[in-house]
Parts: sequence; structure tokens; C-alpha cells
Amino acid sequence: MAMSDKDDMLGLEVFFDAARRHAAEPSVALLARIDEDAQAVQALARRPAPHPTRRHTLSCQLYRLLGGWPAVTGLATAAMAGVWLGISLPEGILDGAGESAYLIDVAPELAFDLAGGDF
Amino acid sequence: MPLDTMSDEPDEVLLALFANGNASAARALTARLTQRVMGHAYRLLGNHAEAEDVTQEAMLRLWKIAPDWRQGEAKVTTWLYRVVANLCIDLRRRARGVALDSIPDPEDGRASVTDHMQAEARAEALQAALDQLPDRQRQAVVLRHIEGLANPEIAEIMEITTEAVESLTARGKRALTAALAGRQEELGYGDE
Repeated sequence: MAMSDKDDMLGLEVFFDAARRHAAEPSVALLARIDEDAQAVQALARRPAPHPTRRHTLSCQLYRLLGGWPAVTGLATAAMAGVWLGISLPEGILDGAGESAYLIDVAPELAFDLAGGDF
Repeated sequence: MPLDTMSDEPDEVLLALFANGNASAARALTARLTQRVMGHAYRLLGNHAEAEDVTQEAMLRLWKIAPDWRQGEAKVTTWLYRVVANLCIDLRRRARGVALDSIPDPEDGRASVTDHMQAEARAEALQAALDQLPDRQRQAVVLRHIEGLANPEIAEIMEITTEAVESLTARGKRALTAALAGRQEELGYGDE
């Protein structure tokens, strides 16, 4: 006849009770290893996150070489002014240049000699 | 906070203290949990050295998860029982897959009452019988009848229903009874 669950337990409880009273004990070495692991994990958590390394690109180096933002601002202003002058030259700068311009001979005697004539 | 004042703190509080860098909390948790973890690992594996490895790994996982632990969601011990069981099952599966023949059979005479105290012999006989159970049956029987957990908590650990827990423990106990039936006289079964 098959035993009921209650009958099973009456027999097995003796063994379960023995198992509870004879549990495997952790060794001192194991406890030390676990403690070391805990310390290592805590030490890792305490370590500050590494700063992102600055990349010294060519543009960064040029920026510093020119003298930083004041110099770069001046250069940019000058460049923009140059572009503006190139695109829309203000009136009056070249107006009538052809009519009003004339040749100034700064060494007329030299021109005479070179010509070789007796003008 | 000194170690002796932490004895009344719940596991979850100690884990939060550990995550905040408190070394005493680590020692308190180690002292409180290691024996239980080790005992459970040994009952699932039947091998002391392997149980120690599993215990160390389970505790390491506990340290690592501490900063992300969500208070009130699960008991630390429930989480640990689950981790231990998973590690043990993985270990046994790897052992079966790699070298089936290398797993030693239970020693016939290792529970002899002439060599051990009777209770110790019974514990060893039970361990040998537990080793023969399928993994899930063994886990359910150990959690229910040795660790003394309630079925709902076992269901949470094993991620199954309470009905499935009852079924596993019933089948496990039947198998244990059959395995131990022939050793009643040897182990003083009828003396109780």
C-alpha cells in the first residue's frame, strides 16, 4: 500500500531535522574572500568617474596659437568686412577714377635718356 | 554605524548602507547571510567546494546589485535563494554536459552510524537522496522542508505557481521516501 503524504512526512521529518542541524558551514577563507569582494566593489564605486579626455584637434591648437577668443573675434570681424567690401563696394571709391587719374612722371630726365631722342 | 548596532536592521537597509560605502554593513550582511547561502548551495549541489564557489559568486552579485536595489520589491533572501539556485543549476548542467561519468556516485558507506553521529548520518543520507532528485524537485523540497519557507515565497523564488510548488514538493518527497526506505534500520529511523 502506498504511503500517504502524512506518513511520508513522519519518516522524512527526521531527516529534514537532521539536515537543519547539520548545515554546511562557510570556511574562514570563504568569509575572507567575500569580505575582500565587498571591499573591492565599494572601492570601485568610490572611484570618481574619469573626466572625458580633451581632444587636442588641429582647430583647437590653431585657436590657442592665434591668442584665444579676442584675437579670433578680431580676425572674424576683419574677414567679414573684407567680404562685405568685395560684394558691395561703396559708391564713390572708384567713380570717375578713369577721368581724374593722371600719370605723374617721377623721373622725366630718365625717360628722356631712354627714349634716345632729342625732343 | 558600528557592526553591533546593525543586528536589528533589515537586510534591505544594510544593503542601502553598503551601497553608500559603509564597510560595517558589508560585514553585517556577510555574517548574516553567508551561512544561509552556503547551506542552501550545499543542499542543492552536495559538494562543499562547489557550494563555496557558488556562495562567493552569489554574494558578489549581491554587492554589485546593491546600488540598484529597489527597496520593497523583493526580500534580499528571496533574491539570494533565486541566484543560488540558478548558479547551482547552471553548475550541475555544465558538469553533466562536460563529464557525465566524472560525477561520483553517492558513497554506500558514507552514512554509517559507526563513523558518524546518527543525526549527521541522516543528514548525509538525505543529501545523497537529494542529489538524485531532479533540480527543480530538489530546490522545492529544500526550500520548503529544510529552509522552512512558505509556498508563496518558494513560488516567487522559483518563478512558478504555488500549485506547481506543491506538486514539485510532493513528487520530491515521494522520491526521497523511496530512496531512504531501505535505510531505516541503519539510520535508526524507527527509534524516534
